[in-house]
Amino acid sequence: MDDLLNDFLAETAEILAEAGGAIIAWEADPADRAQLDAIFRLVHTIKGSSGFLTLPRVTALSHAAEDALDQVRRGNRPANAALVTGVLGILDRLGELCAALGRDGVEPAGDDGDAIGALSDQGPPPDIAVDSSGASPRRDEDLTADLQSWRSIRVPLPLLDSVMTGVTDIVLARNEFARMLRESGANPAVIASFDRLSTSIAGMRQSVSQMRMQRIDKLFSPLPRIVRDLARDMGKKIAFQTSGGEVELDREMMENIRDPLIHIVRNAIDHGVEPFEERVAAGKDITATIAVSARQSGNQIEIEIRDDGRGLSPDALMAKAIASRILTATEARALSPREKLDLIFRPGFSTAAQVTSVSGRGVGMDIVKANVEKIGGVVELRNDEGRGLTILLRVPMTLTIISGLMVRAAGQYFAIPRGAVREILLESGDTVRIDRVGGGELATVRGEQYPLLRLETVLGRGRDHGDDVDDRALVIVRPGQGQSYALSVAAIHDHEELVIKPAAPMIMATGLYAGTTLPDNGRPVLLLDVQGLLAAAAIDASEAGRSRDLSAEADVEADAARNAVQLLLFRDMNARVRGVRLSVIERVEEVPASAIFESAGRIQARIGEDIFPVHAAALPDGNEAFKLLRLYDGNAILCYPIAEVVDIVRLPDMVQPSAAPGLIAGVVLIGGDPVELIDPFWLMEQYGAGAATPAARQPLCRLADDHDGWGENFLAPILRGAGYRVLAGADTSEEAPDVLLCIAEGGEDCRVDGDEVPVIRLRASVAAAGPDDESVYRYDRQALFDALRSRVGGHAA
Amino acid sequence: MMRNLYLIARIADTRVALRSRAINSVVTVGTPVEVPAAPPHVAGLFALRSRVFTLIDPHVVVGLPAAPVSPGQRVIVVDVAEHGYALIADEIEDVCFIDAPETRITGKLLPGWARVADALIEYQGASLLVVDPSNFITLPTLKAA
Repeated sequence: MDDLLNDFLAETAEILAEAGGAIIAWEADPADRAQLDAIFRLVHTIKGSSGFLTLPRVTALSHAAEDALDQVRRGNRPANAALVTGVLGILDRLGELCAALGRDGVEPAGDDGDAIGALSDQGPPPDIAVDSSGASPRRDEDLTADLQSWRSIRVPLPLLDSVMTGVTDIVLARNEFARMLRESGANPAVIASFDRLSTSIAGMRQSVSQMRMQRIDKLFSPLPRIVRDLARDMGKKIAFQTSGGEVELDREMMENIRDPLIHIVRNAIDHGVEPFEERVAAGKDITATIAVSARQSGNQIEIEIRDDGRGLSPDALMAKAIASRILTATEARALSPREKLDLIFRPGFSTAAQVTSVSGRGVGMDIVKANVEKIGGVVELRNDEGRGLTILLRVPMTLTIISGLMVRAAGQYFAIPRGAVREILLESGDTVRIDRVGGGELATVRGEQYPLLRLETVLGRGRDHGDDVDDRALVIVRPGQGQSYALSVAAIHDHEELVIKPAAPMIMATGLYAGTTLPDNGRPVLLLDVQGLLAAAAIDASEAGRSRDLSAEADVEADAARNAVQLLLFRDMNARVRGVRLSVIERVEEVPASAIFESAGRIQARIGEDIFPVHAAALPDGNEAFKLLRLYDGNAILCYPIAEVVDIVRLPDMVQPSAAPGLIAGVVLIGGDPVELIDPFWLMEQYGAGAATPAARQPLCRLADDHDGWGENFLAPILRGAGYRVLAGADTSEEAPDVLLCIAEGGEDCRVDGDEVPVIRLRASVAAAGPDDESVYRYDRQALFDALRSRVGGHAA
Repeated sequence: MMRNLYLIARIADTRVALRSRAINSVVTVGTPVEVPAAPPHVAGLFALRSRVFTLIDPHVVVGLPAAPVSPGQRVIVVDVAEHGYALIADEIEDVCFIDAPETRITGKLLPGWARVADALIEYQGASLLVVDPSNFITLPTLKAA
């Protein structure tokens, strides 16, 4: 009887967890008949088993829930929140009863009228007699389905654990036996038969490992309920999704990440998801999404918890940390954005402005991180401030057997957990450079720098003389998120599946080892604690710090690049690579061939409303569009046709100048190839004259006394062409002219504002009237422009 | 009475009576695997019946220089707090019941021995130190060596 009861309790606990999730899913989509049927079956199973065990309260409760669900199945009752709440209430009550049963062995006395009553609020009161007869045909088929899905047996966990331990010992004994066989030089028949044994042991170990595996669904199943209840309490609307439930995970690992996972989900609801108003203000859907997904990647399981809430604000975190005296303002300023985010993992940190009843219970992300790291996992944050936060838990699939990399140092073997190894390189390889700096060493692998630890040094041993220097290898180790270093070892041996057992406390206390293992050769091997090695070496392996250095370097470089000169490399129309200082390029224009035309002996380009000179000897062939570099000297624009832009590089300091001024200012070496440097000065010089000056302030010339229209018709165009704006007699303008051109001799207009505005008088005769005559002959273009320039300045020569 | 069962052995150059409660067996070991950076009294690791044991050198515990482990070394295997340890023994004499009571240690011992010895016992006309094997393991580690 006790066994039966225990089976019932275990099964019911499982069903309750599964049913809770299923009901939430069904509530979200009441039309999902399959989900409804599944829930119905689950409740029905409880009812069936409880009837067998004579547990009247359990039977009555499950019956009521089954009944209500059946009404819904028959369409007699709508699926609504009240019903779902009612069913959940019954599941809760069942859970309580089961707990009491497990404790006392008997069903406690009590009344469940309230729970059952809550369920029947809306629908007609359940009529047991009618119902059971009417529903029986369906139930038979449901029961068959039940049998299909329950084709498994229940094994108490301690038994499973002892099987696992037993198999582990068998494996170790086999290893020892294998070694003894080899040493004794046993005859081939014995060895062959041992190999057979060995193979079946390996198979068995595999199966036992699988026995311990459970679908991660189990971990996810309580989450929908938690989300629903919490969201309702907090007045938030949340769509909860899970995926990847079929991924399998060691039971022990599962136990270890259950609480962290629930905590993270609670956090997401409490802190991550904003209140309605904020979501609306941020232009988000009122219903927030929280998605939990699992996937297997190699030997590891990744569990991702993603929300579309407000994300983390590094600055708010920092302020909070300072307020709670976790760190000082000075320390805080030195933090990189990534380190600011990592503040949430500090003990005593809570992100909510006020401690809420939901997640502010003193269990912080520090505990989450510690729990996950305890089982060899890592917690990763992917923050998108304002748009959500993703937390990634990465844990090994199983604890007891790990894949290890065997390395040699100081004449003995050590194991490194394969999961922490990112890369293995030969120290003498081409991609590796080792620098000694200030007594320390660092390894540069393909441009990435790692602090270098020599395993012998960390362990306080000398190098073994038997080791060949050529064998020395670098293991790039990534002990945790955002950390990495290079571990130099005497040699790499091989990979092995290792059964890890804890080492004696005083060995663990060194902080260097994570356990011991017994490989096939029968000699114990220490598993290195890759995180502990770092601590022992007192090396900061944080990539964040390094990347800050790198970014600082990059900043310096960028500064240098900004202060120095950037060079735009392009391929010209003749497919030669040339360069021009980036700063003289206003932009790169792409124009159709039709925009280029020849006029007045010059190639010109029409870009938009403007016409610009083009540096080209002839009109380009073909009809394809091509690119123009717009060179701008502050006043004038010149277009330089190119085939394509190649790159932007720093202008090397060494420029080989060309002998004579010309298009090419000199030659530089870029990446080992000579590149001709365009001389923008020379170019502008060629095209500067007569170039339009669209952007600059153009002096305003007022034509006074232009009675016969000569000024308007003859003079104004050349003035405009030279970059002046012209105000003819008829126009009036608020703007005061910069210069007055008096066209008719002795005109009255000139006298009006003679004192305030410079005046140029034009005369019709070639010869000046006398030595004091400052007037300019009206067809003497040069003299006219000189006069204009001397009075108002101007750009045109 | 298990309480009165003692293992008489020479460890760390001294003849002692080890309380047998924690003693698992007496075996011989080959060359142990060193544990770099471990406390000095850890002489290494060795495997026995697919278990890994930590070898303890009592010489170091009582403040003597470490004794090299020779092949075929006899060790006293003990279980302390679910971990397997082995004490290097210079010589194993006997396992026997001693009816004499344990008495308070009189006289001044070397500091190392004072830390590990619990009592004195009279055995075959000699006074032996009574030592609990776990004292060699759980001792707060010393500055020795």
